[in-house]
Order: sequence, then C-alpha cells, then structure tokens
Amino acid sequence: MKTEVPFSSKRLFMTLMLCACAVILLQNHDLSADASFWVNLLSVFAGLGVCFFYFLPAIILKKKYNTDVMTLANQAGTPLKWATAVFYALYFLFTAEYFLIPYTDMFCKKYYAGAPPCLIALAVLACCVYAAVKGVNVITRFGIFLFVLALVTNFLMFAGSASSLRFEENLAFRGTLSAFLQNSGYFITPCFIAAIYVCLSGYTRRFTWRQPLTALALTGLKYALVLFFIAFSAGEYAGRQEYETYLLSRVAHFGSFAGIESFYMALSTMSVFMITALLLCCTCRGFQLGGNVKWTAAFAALLFFVRFIAEKFDSLNELFTNAALLNGFTFVAAVVIPSAYLIGRKKHA
Amino acid sequence: MPKKLTALLLLLPIVLSGCIASRQIESAAVIETVSVSRQGGSQLYTFFRLTDSDSPDAVSVPAESFEQALQLAAAQYIPNLSLAKLELLLYQTDVERKALRADIDYISTQASFSPVACLALCDENVLRRLRQKTETQSLIKQQLILCKNQNPTVQLDYLSVFNSFARQSPNSFSVAFITSDGEMKISAGKME
Repeated sequence: MKTEVPFSSKRLFMTLMLCACAVILLQNHDLSADASFWVNLLSVFAGLGVCFFYFLPAIILKKKYNTDVMTLANQAGTPLKWATAVFYALYFLFTAEYFLIPYTDMFCKKYYAGAPPCLIALAVLACCVYAAVKGVNVITRFGIFLFVLALVTNFLMFAGSASSLRFEENLAFRGTLSAFLQNSGYFITPCFIAAIYVCLSGYTRRFTWRQPLTALALTGLKYALVLFFIAFSAGEYAGRQEYETYLLSRVAHFGSFAGIESFYMALSTMSVFMITALLLCCTCRGFQLGGNVKWTAAFAALLFFVRFIAEKFDSLNELFTNAALLNGFTFVAAVVIPSAYLIGRKKHA
Repeated sequence: MPKKLTALLLLLPIVLSGCIASRQIESAAVIETVSVSRQGGSQLYTFFRLTDSDSPDAVSVPAESFEQALQLAAAQYIPNLSLAKLELLLYQTDVERKALRADIDYISTQASFSPVACLALCDENVLRRLRQKTETQSLIKQQLILCKNQNPTVQLDYLSVFNSFARQSPNSFSVAFITSDGEMKISAGKME
C-alpha cells in the first residue's frame, strides 16, 4: 500500500479544471435549442457560480483544519467510516460511468464505426487501473501534459473555425426560462470536481483562494468559447449533430489541412482517462486502499460490468447518463456530507 | 505484476489498431464526388469513386432521394460505400429545389459526411465532362476555390448552404454555378 506524498494544490486544481472541461467535450444534445448564445452564456455563469458554492465546505475544511472528509471519516467510528466510504464509492462509480458511456458511444459513432463500445471501455479502464495504482500525484503530473495538448487542440479548433464565423441573425438575445434552467442544469454538471476535491484535498499543500477561482474562470472561458464557435461558426447545422463540440474539429480548416478529429479524440480520450483514474483513486481512498492493484482492478471491473449491462439495456444507459441525477448525488457528496463533517469538527473542537 | 500490466497495455493498442476485420483499400469504395441530374421523370445519382485511372469510375443510380440512392448503391452497386471523403456535391440546375433541400436535410444527419464538402449547381455539359475525364473533378475544385476568393458572398461549402436554408431568409443566397460550353466557367448562381 502506498502513502501519497503531499503535492501542490495548484496542480490538483489544474487537473480538476481539465476534468470539468471534459464535460463539454462530450456534450450531446443536452442544451436546449430555445436559448441563444447569450442566454447560454448566462447559464454558464449560473452553473459555475453554483460550482463555486459546492467547493466551499471542502475549502473551509482544508483552509481551517488542513484536512478532508476521508481523513475525518477514518478518524470517526467504524460505522460512520464505512457508511461514508460506501456512499462515496457508489457516487464515484456512478460518475465514472457518466463519462465512460458517452465517450465510448462517441468513439464508436463518430470515429470508429463498428468497434464494440465495451472493448473501448476495457482499453480505457485498463489504462486507468494502471494510473490509479500509481496515485493522484502522478495523475496530476500527467495533467500538465494534458493541459498543453488541450491548449493546442483548442487553438486548432477555434482558429480553424474562425474563417467560417457568421453573425447574421445569431446575435439576438432569445430564450425561455425553462431553457435557461435546463442549460444551467447542464453547466452544474462540472460540480463533480468539487466532490473529487472533497476526497483528495488532504494530499495537497499551499492552498490559496485564487486557485479554485482561476480553475472555474478558465473552465467558464472554455465553455464560452465552445458555445461561441458552435453558435456562430457551425450555426444551425450543429443542432442536427450528435456531439456538437465534435463538429468544431470537423469544420476546422487550414488550407489543405481540413478537420482535426484526431486531436479532438486524443484530448477527449485523455480527459476521460484522467477523470476515471482520479475517480478510482477517490473510491480506493475511502476504503484506505490507495495503490492496491487488486482492489483498484476490482472497482474497474465493476465499472466495466455496468458498462457492459448498460449496452444491453437502454433504461440503464439513460439512468447512468442522467445529468439531474448526477447533480443530485453531487450535492450530497460535495455539500451535505462535508458540511456535516465541518459542523461535527467544530463541535469537537 | 507491473510487467504483466505493461505488456497488456502494449498489446491493447495493437488489438485496437483496426487490423482485425479490416477493409482493404482495393475493396473499399471511397466516394469523392456525387452528382445529381434529371433523366426522364426521375433523378439520377452518380457516385464517383476515388481512382487513379484517367477515366472515372462512376456508378449511376436512379432514385427519388439521396437516402434511397445510398441504400440502392450500397445494396446493388457499390458494397463498402464510404462517404467520409466526399468532397464535391454537384446538382444539375434541372433538379427540383424541393428535392435538393430534402437531400441537404438528410445528409446533415449522416455522421460520416464532411460538412466542409463543396456544393454547387451545374449544367448538363459539366456532368458529361465529369463522366468522361477524372481530372474534371480536381479542375472543378480549383475553380470553386477561385470563385470563392473572387466572390466571398458565394456559399461554397455544405455547412454554409445548410445554414442558409435553415435560417429561412426571405432573400435568396448565392452558390457556385458551373457551366461548360467549350471551357469551364464558374459564376454565382441564385438559390431560392
């Protein structure tokens, strides 16, 4: 069993930011067409504002007591420790499925028609087990390389689409309240990073308030840019497509070099890989099994089994990709439980 | 254990590289250009395969829509048909606008289709030349780029044509119109 070495809090927030950005990479018809670009922009602000609120209990725990929920749970009695560990394990496995299912679907539909989704899931999970065993510190180091790849891919996507920008008729402020609420719900999805922080903040040092704010601001900027190019470069055509953001990599054009799907697929693959590996780390940490190959592989096998079953049953597929359900569980994981531990710690002190 | 895991990880990319159940390039039908013309009362969809020979490898399918033409072509004429590399869609001016719009609408739902493929109107002579010489396809593409440079308001790619239709603008918009009376000429044609 390995003991994690404390590492920079800045690095963890950069990794969390990349995880949050993956939400829009896998976007698929979850945004209401009744809202214009400006209304969607407001939804981004609202969603990420809620995300900051979700971070608060874990940040207060870190700032005031330099600890996290998992450390406090382990110091508490056995029943409470197990209850917390089991809840977080189920939550993180649900979240991992939430990303794994759309990713494998996108890979098979858009890039490699005919490949069985389960085989893709197996390949991703095999790599994730390896990374999760190595630990959070190593995964966040990988995040540095991913950050550079994300910069290159986004530059290619946006610069290549800039030549087809059309502003006629798209500039109107148009939207309904239900569309705004639906889209805000979509942009609350990245709050799952707050739940990851709840479990992993204990490993980090040198926390400052600027770190979560910068991470959320950069995530918002990425979302805004994607929404801008989808609205003004792809236009109405994007509304007919599955995985709208993927379209930006197809219309990106640099002379004879048209389409940069491979860059896009590489970025989304690595993002899903990083999210799943981090979630496996969090699951193991709840049971104090960090670095244990057998248990990490067992959790990954459970993920694969659920993915395999979800392929057979559409209802299960819809359940695991339900954003409202994820947001509800995230509220409990990132706000309710950490707040309860915070209050308990205050009383104890 | 790490060695076994590393070996497994190295093996997986080989398994996933696509060598299993692969499609040989000789047997795959990569479509480069599709032309649509009127013949008698029905439409004729002609699929031009990617080829290195001087004479084009074209298969014509009479059909009511692009969707039906694709199904017929794949079932009867060209197995392993792929539209992923389609670069040019040519519609003869005689083809009804309603049929053209229905085709454009259908194509937008096809995941493999490239939205940056060119779309243009043409006359009968262009289609005749297209069936005679392979180089006509590249000549048209060069001319289309020149046309776009000279007249930026011309909607050249499928994406912008689709968006112009979808916006239901009261005014017509311009697309490239190719004629061939001895030499090939490209001008801006109105799409109502």
